[in-house]
Amino acid sequence: MTVAQSPEQSASGLQINWQRLALWIGVLAMVLFCLAPALWQLLTSFKVNEAITAIPNVYFPSPSQLTLDHYLSLGWIFWRYIANSAIVSLLSTVVCLATGAPAAYALARLRIPGERIILVCVLIVSLFPYVLLFLGLLEVVRLFGLGNNYLALIVPYTGINLPLTILVLRSFFQKLPQDLEDSAKVDGYTTAQMLWQIVLPLTIPALVTTGILTFIFAWNEFIFALTFITRDTMKTIPVAVAQIGGASIYEVPYGPIAAATVLGTLPLILLVLCFQRRIVQGITAGAVKG
Amino acid sequence: MKQRLQRIWQRWRRGRSEPRWLWAIASLVLVLAIALPVWSQQPVKVRTMMQALEKAQWQSMEAAFEAENPDIDLEIIEAPNDTNLVEDLYTSAFLLGDSPYDLVYLDIVWVPKFAAAGWLLDLSDRFPEPERDPFLEGDVDGGTYQGGLYRMPFRSDGGMLYYRTDMLTEAGYEPPETFTELIEISRDLQAQDIAEWGYIWQGKQYEGLSAMFVEILAGFGAFWVNPDTLEVGLDAPEAIAAVEFLRSTIDEGISPPGVTTYAEEETRRLFQDGETVFLRNWPYVASLAADSEIAGQFAIKPMAHLPNEASGACQGGWGLGISATSRHPDEAWRVAEYISSEAAQKAFILETGYVPSRRSLFTDPDLVAKYPYYPQLLEVVENSVLRPPIAQYAQTSDILQRYLSAALTGRMTPEAAMQAAARETRSILNRD
Amino acid sequence: MTQASDTIRQRQIRQGLIMVAPAIAILLLVFAYPIGRAFWLSLFTQNLGTQLEATFSGLSNYQRIVGDGRFWLTLWNTTVFTSLSIVTELIIGMSFALILDQAFRGRGLVRTAALLPWALPTAVMGLAWAWIFNDQFGIANDLLTRLGLISTNITWLGDPTRAMLALIFADVWKTTPFIAILLLAGLQSISGDLYEAHAIDGASPWQSFWQITLPLVAPQMVIALLFRFAQAFGIFDLVQVMTGGGPAGATETVSIYIYATVRRYLDFGYGAALVVVTFLLLILAVAIAAYFLSRTRLNVTGER
Repeated sequence: MTVAQSPEQSASGLQINWQRLALWIGVLAMVLFCLAPALWQLLTSFKVNEAITAIPNVYFPSPSQLTLDHYLSLGWIFWRYIANSAIVSLLSTVVCLATGAPAAYALARLRIPGERIILVCVLIVSLFPYVLLFLGLLEVVRLFGLGNNYLALIVPYTGINLPLTILVLRSFFQKLPQDLEDSAKVDGYTTAQMLWQIVLPLTIPALVTTGILTFIFAWNEFIFALTFITRDTMKTIPVAVAQIGGASIYEVPYGPIAAATVLGTLPLILLVLCFQRRIVQGITAGAVKG
Repeated sequence: MKQRLQRIWQRWRRGRSEPRWLWAIASLVLVLAIALPVWSQQPVKVRTMMQALEKAQWQSMEAAFEAENPDIDLEIIEAPNDTNLVEDLYTSAFLLGDSPYDLVYLDIVWVPKFAAAGWLLDLSDRFPEPERDPFLEGDVDGGTYQGGLYRMPFRSDGGMLYYRTDMLTEAGYEPPETFTELIEISRDLQAQDIAEWGYIWQGKQYEGLSAMFVEILAGFGAFWVNPDTLEVGLDAPEAIAAVEFLRSTIDEGISPPGVTTYAEEETRRLFQDGETVFLRNWPYVASLAADSEIAGQFAIKPMAHLPNEASGACQGGWGLGISATSRHPDEAWRVAEYISSEAAQKAFILETGYVPSRRSLFTDPDLVAKYPYYPQLLEVVENSVLRPPIAQYAQTSDILQRYLSAALTGRMTPEAAMQAAARETRSILNRD
Repeated sequence: MTQASDTIRQRQIRQGLIMVAPAIAILLLVFAYPIGRAFWLSLFTQNLGTQLEATFSGLSNYQRIVGDGRFWLTLWNTTVFTSLSIVTELIIGMSFALILDQAFRGRGLVRTAALLPWALPTAVMGLAWAWIFNDQFGIANDLLTRLGLISTNITWLGDPTRAMLALIFADVWKTTPFIAILLLAGLQSISGDLYEAHAIDGASPWQSFWQITLPLVAPQMVIALLFRFAQAFGIFDLVQVMTGGGPAGATETVSIYIYATVRRYLDFGYGAALVVVTFLLLILAVAIAAYFLSRTRLNVTGER
């Protein structure tokens, strides 16, 4: 791991210890806050049904209260659902960044006519409650014959995440020093080359951040996925989870749902683990300073 | 097939001089081309959709049907287990015009709305009066809307009172008939520390609250909405008394305060954990509780009522309707007819423990051997009450749920809540 | 000279338009029809009373909204929910971002852990939260009892105020990472030199936070708040799963009401009018906020 190189090292020794202590308390509180409910889900996924609903609650299950049944009950088809979610999320993230980044750059730098109107429109559509889009979208999907087609999910997910992507990336592009691009232009870079070779590498934190947010949204979206995809082999994880049944229609099968959540979230955790390092790279990494 | 057509075509071009018999051959071939796929056992696809859980339970019935009807391929699409989501999925399919579903697996409360929207075929001619007799009255009535019949009854459902036989015997009580008895027994058993709680019911703001409440309304001799006159009875003194009764169970500590957040499952767990004497719930609890710690120590009976009123069980249940846009209504009908038949229903219920819609099955020896409580169950479901079979039911029910919940959680007095609910309901029903 | 620069400018504009076009096309494809349709349909009555045929009825749907107490109640509920949750999220999210911006051992893992709540599906966690807040089985009451803070079980979801608080808690837990990660990305783009220079000038960390950090992450903060505002106002699945709008309709949000009006009551014209009014009120709220922001010294839109 990286060695601390933050400014407070220049201060006196005692001060550092207090600050480090406060930092670690903060880290601990944060991790506890974020992980506790998730860990409870993890624990639930390994507990037998009697232990899940026991009074008083079982925090430390005995070996006889542990089981893998909830995971086994999901079956192999669950990997199919994970693959479906991965396809949809990956493609919508890629399309979102591929269309959002150039648009954000043009809106940040190229002073195109109607820039303000476009920005205001982007801002306004982002205010539309997304759940209420579905009825209109349903007709659009039917018009294009996209029922049971991944495009019926990829395009709306992209559209819903584009406003965020455009606004976030634009705010980062504006922070870049203008002279950098001016000198690149003098060196004969075209706008596309400049974007691809200079601007984007410098704004990787923003790209990764919005990419992760888009990916997670698409991974977990439920209403559209439920309505537009009815073929079993094409369903995504949230819809598949909603179909997990218990002993009766009324029962919420907490164990299998928790197991499905754990399995369905593992890919996201791996993804974030891989990419989180990228968030720190970029302008602060040293190449350019403003 | 294609080659044969080509040959005919060529011969026709060569011998244009004899058009008449060639035309005959050509038309024969055409007829064959259309008819052959049918002869070569290309089954007609009939689609429906239901909860994933229930699709799994239909498997052997589906296989048996297809074995008997090789010309039909019954395809069941899986939907989430939340009933509301199934309704949403059917609704959006119909809103798009040509629904991909030939058969609609209908919860009883959807029938009026789906029929009013023109999404269902009237089955009156296919399922005439005399053939309806073997079925439970509530199931048939729940499938009718403005004189038409839109749903074939399949499995029934009804709310009732569960009670702990061991606890009642210990304290020397008979099962309660009236609300007063229910309260008194509960209070006494709680005082003796035999049970933690007296009576547990579904008080969360959701559809189950309306279902539970129509039973209390019936027991108090009140009504919700008269489907014929659209008269609203929620602000009648009897209805307000019904709300006051429910409220008093909480105020007097007979029901836990949390009852206002419970749906079916929470109440079942508390009953199975031995926390309560009485429970209002659906028949599904019986088979699950029979596998729990309280096995053999509970029984069922119709809901309590006022001394001079009769008890009512909220009518639930599922059945098949035929989509108005189906291209195979006859094949779809054969599916609906098959699953409602005595043999198919019996086999399905032996396997799953659901409630039959045919009266004779409640006393069927094989079924009684497996589910000994079915004769009592017949008594319960024969006295069923419907939630108002009106097109605007969903809205009407939401209004009731909100105000009933307000009264139960102490936000409004029962009287004020029911008056407001009645006012809003009237304005909804008179608008259209 | 002017001619040459004109052509360069024209080329720049052409390039700019080409770069914007795909994004605009997708936005139009996704948003134009549903939004336009809502405005159009709001002038018609289309429900079970009209056999689902649309008949023109002018502004009568809007008249009906004025007297629709349920709509105004849901609007109020949603406003309370939105303001309380986004303010809490902003404060916690900013602390998270500041912590994550520090260098410490295991930072990668902590960062991932901090993002986990956002990664878990809302519908599933809604179920889990409902179970956690259950009065008999839930661990919320269990833990509080063990800590000796309560002696009898609290019915979290059975009381309007507590149910709202439980919802806000679950939502804050779920979406704080969203704000935190956006702010973190903003913090990462602030050069460390600025802090060093400021510290040499004798400023305390607290002063640096107000004078450097906050102004420089302001654009990201405003964007995060804007999107959280929109998301929170449109909250649907968490409420649906946790309380279903109860008790007594005290947690029913606008989205839930409109969704029911359209999809369950089949009252399309009225539902569309509700969408339009909600949408316009949101735009108005943001416009007012933008007006007041533009009068502060924070450079939020990034315009120079």
